[in-house]
Amino acid sequence: MIVAVLIPRFALLAALGDRRTLAAEPVALAPEVGGGQAVGEVSAAAEAFGIVPGMRVGEALSRCPELRLVPPDPEGARGLWDEVLGRIESIGGAPESELPGTAFFAADGLRGLHGGGLDGVLAATRRVLGRSARLGVGSSRFVAWCAATQTRQRRATLVVERGRMVRFLTPLPVGLLRSRPELSDLPEVLERLGIRTLGEVAAIPRPAMAERFGHPGLHALDLANGDDAPIEPRRPPEPVNERIDLPEAAFGQQLERALDLLIARVLARTERRGRSLRALAISARFVAGGTWRLPVTLRRASADPERIRLALAPRLADLPAPAESLGLEVEAFGPPAQDQTRMLDGGTRERHSRLTEAVRQARQAAGESAALRVLEVDPDSRLPERRAVLAPFPDLTTDP
Amino acid sequence: MIATASARRLGAPRPVSIRVDAHGLPEAVGRAQVEAIREDWVVEDRWWTRRMLRRRYFELVLEDGRNTVVFHDVTGGGWFVQRS
Repeated sequence: MIVAVLIPRFALLAALGDRRTLAAEPVALAPEVGGGQAVGEVSAAAEAFGIVPGMRVGEALSRCPELRLVPPDPEGARGLWDEVLGRIESIGGAPESELPGTAFFAADGLRGLHGGGLDGVLAATRRVLGRSARLGVGSSRFVAWCAATQTRQRRATLVVERGRMVRFLTPLPVGLLRSRPELSDLPEVLERLGIRTLGEVAAIPRPAMAERFGHPGLHALDLANGDDAPIEPRRPPEPVNERIDLPEAAFGQQLERALDLLIARVLARTERRGRSLRALAISARFVAGGTWRLPVTLRRASADPERIRLALAPRLADLPAPAESLGLEVEAFGPPAQDQTRMLDGGTRERHSRLTEAVRQARQAAGESAALRVLEVDPDSRLPERRAVLAPFPDLTTDP
Repeated sequence: MIATASARRLGAPRPVSIRVDAHGLPEAVGRAQVEAIREDWVVEDRWWTRRMLRRRYFELVLEDGRNTVVFHDVTGGGWFVQRS
């Protein structure tokens, strides 16, 4: 059986931070900087005014002039959600999660750890997640998620046994298919055709579904019948995260210099253990509040600062507002970075190799700050202390 | 594990003891008398924020022949020596 964990309005609560009492008032997530002018998650009090996520800001404010807009904090939400996933892992679960606020894990392998039954697993989950989480149990991810959405405050756990699955899914609205990003447009089309429930979807013959809707239609048909892909648990993260404060509204060359510094610091972290980097995420905290985060997967795993810089620097142009700090996080490591010899080198490689070995030994003896280099951050600044910083000495031979 | 510490900056200002004359111009840096003021200039920055920065810099020649750059922090107060 699959357990779905649903924490409603998670992104909104994360953005509110210490001001969670505001959640009792009409509050909504402000539009993402650089995105469309639509509100994000909304509080229950805002919903009472007819405001729903995705509604245009103007319409939301006209429905409720007292509505407060809170800048979204995707970086903070991700950090909090990582903690939640860590708690699920602490009871033995191997969670899969694509979005903060929703997670799935298989319960069958955990029964032995928690008294031999599903009830023990659910009790342990409830113990580590608290009362705000809604739990749904089903034979597949989709059934479990539907169960979690049907729970209520008084009965925050709903178990759909395999034999009751069809009866449970049949009356549910097709709008639940929107839980899959690839099917987000399908429910509207189905509703226009008069197909309003998952039961009606399940009754459509497979060839007809394939002919009219193609692959998304077949996917929807599988979900309506309770079939879903198996869970792909996340790999427990090895957080390597560096952040640098930007002293003023930095832009252009200053941002690129800050990025150089972050790359150097990430590559110098001992947690890397000689491995290359496969996926990273650039993040920023804005001067006006709120955060921004952009994952970047390298075409080829690398530990070469120049190559990583080439992949990341153009993304700085996507930064939608002045930032007060810039961050770089390793999302996935690649294979160990290998030395690679060249046919015609002229001894440069050898010299770099010796220099790197000397730096490594110096760091081993005296810590990470033993070998540093001067990095010009803003060489033309009128303030001398802004012109240069000390950055970790780069590893010169880690070109996989 | 998040490292939020600012990078180690080079050329950060260091507090210094300065004696000034009636016009607010430096007369001595520590125990060394000022022989001449070669240049002075004002730097203003972040005036659009609450942490406005306003410094009056002096390039000095001291009695022992050293060339030194000091500044007076007009907003926060205090004198600092800084590598220019």
